[in-house]
Amino acid sequence: MSDAAGDGEGGFVERYSTRALFAGTTVAAVVALLVAGLLFPDSLAGTLAAVLTSENTLAAALRLSVPIAFAALGGIFAEKSGVINIGLEGLLIISAFGAVYVTEVTGGVWVGFVAGVVASTLLAALFAVVTIKFRADQIIAGLAVWLIALGLAPFASQVIYNSPNTPTVQTMGSIAVPVLEDLPFFGALFSASPTVYLLFLAVFCSWYVFERTAFGRWIRASGENPKALDTAGVSVTHVRYAAVIISGVLAGMGGAALSLDLGQFTGNGPTMVNGKGFIAIVAYLFGNYNPVGAFLSTMLFAGLDAVQTVLQLQGIGVPRQLIRITPFVVVIIVLALVGRTQLPEAAGDHYETEE
Amino acid sequence: MSPADRARKALSRLVEASATERILISSAALVLSVLIGAVLVLVAGRMTSCTAGEAVYYFGTGFCYDPVVVFDRLFLGALGDPLSGGWSPNGQFAITLRETTLLLFTGLSVALAFRAGIFNIGTQGQMVVGALATALGVLWASAFVSGLVGTVVLIPFGLLVGSVFGGLYGAIPGVLKAYADANEVITTIMLNFVATGVALYLVSGVFKDPNSAANQTVPLPEFAQFPSLFFGARQDFSIVALGFGLVAIAALYYVLEHTAFGYDVRTSGVQPEAAEYGGVDSKRTIVASLALSGALAGIAGAMYVMMILGTFQTGIPDYGFDGITVSILAGNNPLGVGVAALLFGVLKSGTTVVQFATDVPPQLVGVLRGLIILFVAMPEFFRLLAKGLPGQWSESEAVATDGGVAVDQGGETDE
Repeated sequence: MSDAAGDGEGGFVERYSTRALFAGTTVAAVVALLVAGLLFPDSLAGTLAAVLTSENTLAAALRLSVPIAFAALGGIFAEKSGVINIGLEGLLIISAFGAVYVTEVTGGVWVGFVAGVVASTLLAALFAVVTIKFRADQIIAGLAVWLIALGLAPFASQVIYNSPNTPTVQTMGSIAVPVLEDLPFFGALFSASPTVYLLFLAVFCSWYVFERTAFGRWIRASGENPKALDTAGVSVTHVRYAAVIISGVLAGMGGAALSLDLGQFTGNGPTMVNGKGFIAIVAYLFGNYNPVGAFLSTMLFAGLDAVQTVLQLQGIGVPRQLIRITPFVVVIIVLALVGRTQLPEAAGDHYETEE
Repeated sequence: MSPADRARKALSRLVEASATERILISSAALVLSVLIGAVLVLVAGRMTSCTAGEAVYYFGTGFCYDPVVVFDRLFLGALGDPLSGGWSPNGQFAITLRETTLLLFTGLSVALAFRAGIFNIGTQGQMVVGALATALGVLWASAFVSGLVGTVVLIPFGLLVGSVFGGLYGAIPGVLKAYADANEVITTIMLNFVATGVALYLVSGVFKDPNSAANQTVPLPEFAQFPSLFFGARQDFSIVALGFGLVAIAALYYVLEHTAFGYDVRTSGVQPEAAEYGGVDSKRTIVASLALSGALAGIAGAMYVMMILGTFQTGIPDYGFDGITVSILAGNNPLGVGVAALLFGVLKSGTTVVQFATDVPPQLVGVLRGLIILFVAMPEFFRLLAKGLPGQWSESEAVATDGGVAVDQGGETDE
């Protein structure tokens, strides 16, 4: 099993083409649908095409992808450095609650946003200490982070508000870029919540860090060949701490954006986060650890979600409960198609500094 | 290295660590979690409001919640207050045993997969599928039999249906892992969401009980449920089910330790390459262990329906996730699962007592669950802690009892 890394060279093309095939099929299907919709505007294809080309769908997809894409970016940082952060879901939960709580107390949305980020960062720091210093198994510790947040956020909400759901607070609102917002379809890109712009910025910065900076190279080396990094005189431990904490900051932005977009935290069952952290993991695996790739695959999941929401509103097709599980089913299918991903060589290993 | 390989390594470390050390670490994890839980209760008690008369005072400060009362209720309350006289097995104690029974099965489910080097986070979903299948299957079959014969026929039938469907649902991530290399941690979590969603769809639509406002199936007839021998009917506990649970522990222990299949499972868990060389069909072993793991979860679902609820209703409690904690706490050893399940049975049953006796939100136990997993996952923490305490473990012993000797010696020389 562990020889997967060994067949990495030969397998890469194969894996790459699976991805390309999947992306190509998706694009082809969408184009076919649009053409069919154009030719027969009254058919189901016509309705679908109308939904797909609607500005509202793009706006909804962007909104839905914010928490997932932020968490995915965070996951890339941690995993590239060699720490698999399966606790992203927990980081989203804790920041979603923290953001609404502090917004409610202070009245400032941005204060709340920062507080959500801080909450997530602290939990990520705890995860970092546990996995890096105390060498806990990363998967089990990540699971613990998820379960702790899953208990803690509704617990705090119950203590403070006497209900697992918080009262509603003010939301972020949206920022519109004059002129550009009037563009057909793409206008949605220029009239969106500030967190959407923040996401664009974060995707670009993450890409820049990995492709153009020394720190990005250190993170990669820490995950692929920690010994070499150590030999070069850079502390693997420090790089990993930094990467995990960055993952906490990014996931925190996602969680805070999620709850402040709605103005409420709901903590029943799997909470309002509802698996977004796990979808984020699949998004970056599918995006091959590339920030832009992760963003695009998130848009794929979120776009699907947006289309189903619109269809639901129009009363078309499958029952609501079944439509809700489509993202999870798609994740399973994508994972089965992509198969083993190119995990950083040393991900999951503890690294001992040598004398 | 893939998560699965790491799982195996973590596992081998857990398995190879001596039993004494594991018990010490599990106990220490439990104590620490309770201590942190107590602090959390105090902090929460500062964040809520109450009258001066209701408050308790520690260190000269008033708190709305009293951790001593919380943990007294949580543990002693769950055991039916054995210290205050007039103890009867019929009260809360029966509920504790009931919860223990279900946790035995979910714990064994996770433990079996773990031993094969597979993280089955999907026990919850497999339990949901098993529970729904049992409710529908037994409901259908109950038309043909009745009375005592009905009980004798329907209970094994229900358990069979639950285990088959739970097993099939567990086989899905197994097949995906073995033949498509899909990471089972993610697929099982996703399948949990799918199971809950599909169950909600079916139970709120086609199979909904028309006479009930809740999303549930038509209730099973009384004879199709576990008999409450020796215990009160109100606690929904059957000693027969617990008996099944104890048999399952013994059976799984025997299968793992004394059969060819168990040997395959254990070797692929600890040493997958060696297992392959030794002629173990690893793909088949992965699918089989996950199917068997799902079957155990399905039995938990069947018992939930036939012993506790008497129907299938959406919103099944987190027995599956608790099963993960039970298994990790037990070092994935079937015999240890028995003890850990009892402990978690106490926690689950005590939650309702706490809810009744105090205003502390029941989600506290969820936090404790996470903390316990976190602490058990880091034996290194306790070793460092132990080194700081004179007269506890000697340094050499701490190294000698550890499975990952080579890694740890590296750590040792750092000091």
